Amino acid sequence: MINRPPQENLRQMASRWLPPHQVPQRFRIHTDTSDFFRVEYDDVVILKGRPYLIRHNAKEQGFGLEDEVKFWVKRAIDLENGSLKIMKLVFYERFMSRIGDIEFECFRSPKKEARILELVSGHANFMHGYSIQDEKDNLIRILDFIKGKTLAAHVGDMKMDHEAYYYEQFQGIMDHFFECIQAIRFLHESGERHGDIRRDHILIDQESGHYRWIDFDFNYRHRENIYGYDLFGLGNILVFLVGMGDLLLPDLKKEGHPSLSTLSEEDLNLVFNNSVVNLKKIYPYIHESINRVLMHFSRGANWFYENTVQLLDDLGEFKSHN
Amino acid sequence: MVEEEKIFNKNILIAVDRSDNARRAVSYVGQLLGGLPGFNVTLLHVVPEPEEDYFSTAIQEEEWLTQYRQKIDVMLEDSRQFLIKKGFDPKNVAVRSTLRYCPSMAECILSERNKTEYSTIVVGRHGLSRSEEFLFGSISSKIVNNARNCTVWVVE
Repeated sequence: MINRPPQENLRQMASRWLPPHQVPQRFRIHTDTSDFFRVEYDDVVILKGRPYLIRHNAKEQGFGLEDEVKFWVKRAIDLENGSLKIMKLVFYERFMSRIGDIEFECFRSPKKEARILELVSGHANFMHGYSIQDEKDNLIRILDFIKGKTLAAHVGDMKMDHEAYYYEQFQGIMDHFFECIQAIRFLHESGERHGDIRRDHILIDQESGHYRWIDFDFNYRHRENIYGYDLFGLGNILVFLVGMGDLLLPDLKKEGHPSLSTLSEEDLNLVFNNSVVNLKKIYPYIHESINRVLMHFSRGANWFYENTVQLLDDLGEFKSHN
Repeated sequence: MVEEEKIFNKNILIAVDRSDNARRAVSYVGQLLGGLPGFNVTLLHVVPEPEEDYFSTAIQEEEWLTQYRQKIDVMLEDSRQFLIKKGFDPKNVAVRSTLRYCPSMAECILSERNKTEYSTIVVGRHGLSRSEEFLFGSISSKIVNNARNCTVWVVE
């Protein structure tokens, strides 16, 4: 039986971190988080005696216009020291995912995320945290909150033309992203995979300036190539960064881009057939060495990267030219 | 100097699952070698052990495994009977299924081969699209690239 701290103690702790009008009169206390829908704003979750005050549910950009609410992911305040945390509760979700025409089975894995948190503890390019079980052995992950924009938002918010971006911003961004790929290499060489590599799963830490991977609980039933999906994700981010966004055929057609007639099927993304990968045809000043890397993710590729070492070697060639 | 002749045995390992291309691989071996003396065939299925958290409880995992094994046992026996009908001696057709954690199915199959004395591995080609091959890999391609000291037949 877990000792629940008296309400007065919780009020005193909360009042150290919250303005008086935000301190609840009474706290609903949870020691079993199995039904995460019941864990709501202003509730307290006690984990191994440590109280956490629950705040809002996390949101993530879905495929539509509205953000999707992740009811199993809560913002929380550690009432002992006031630090802001992300609390991920257990959700055994299993679903079919689709990229292009390809369908594959995915599932959420608290244990995988817990393992990786331990593996990457202290690593500058990953989120940090730890895992802890509640009274019903649900494996909860407590993550340090990272203040900062996603890489997607950082590039998306840039107000400049592509040429200015390429010569003034891109090199710095690439240096950081290179570190991110090295971080994924570290994961792979430790027998793990990220599982959900996306441009909004890199946060730019306002305090340290490091680019940090988040969200490792996604898992999928791989077939032969355990790291292929991670590599594909890295390639997509790279194309996004080089292009300062996605270059889609419909958009190029709408604006009547002069280079449209030079594009063929081989210049397009291997999976997303409306996305241009051969960016040198649109932006001729892009260095050949980086364009060559992008083309390994195109329909015209006669060879695909099998691991991050190969990708890093080729990117190293681009770095040496700049 | 005359090179010593390498000795190949007549042991054939067919890597199978419940797919059409695996059926084609079995059919090919049956048509090509059925009725010819001396060939021993093992039909091998590697059960890919699901990762942690694919199941939320141990009971679910056990149920899944039981059902999966039942389906695989039926497939293996059907394939075995097919080869016998094609002329293989029943005592020369064996079946084997093994549960393993497989970061790479191809490597699991090759390691099963390496434990035993098969000169030939037979596998069906999945006919993956290029994007599938990039994202998820090709078992037959990896077997061809990584097999050592044996022959690989890839059946279309």
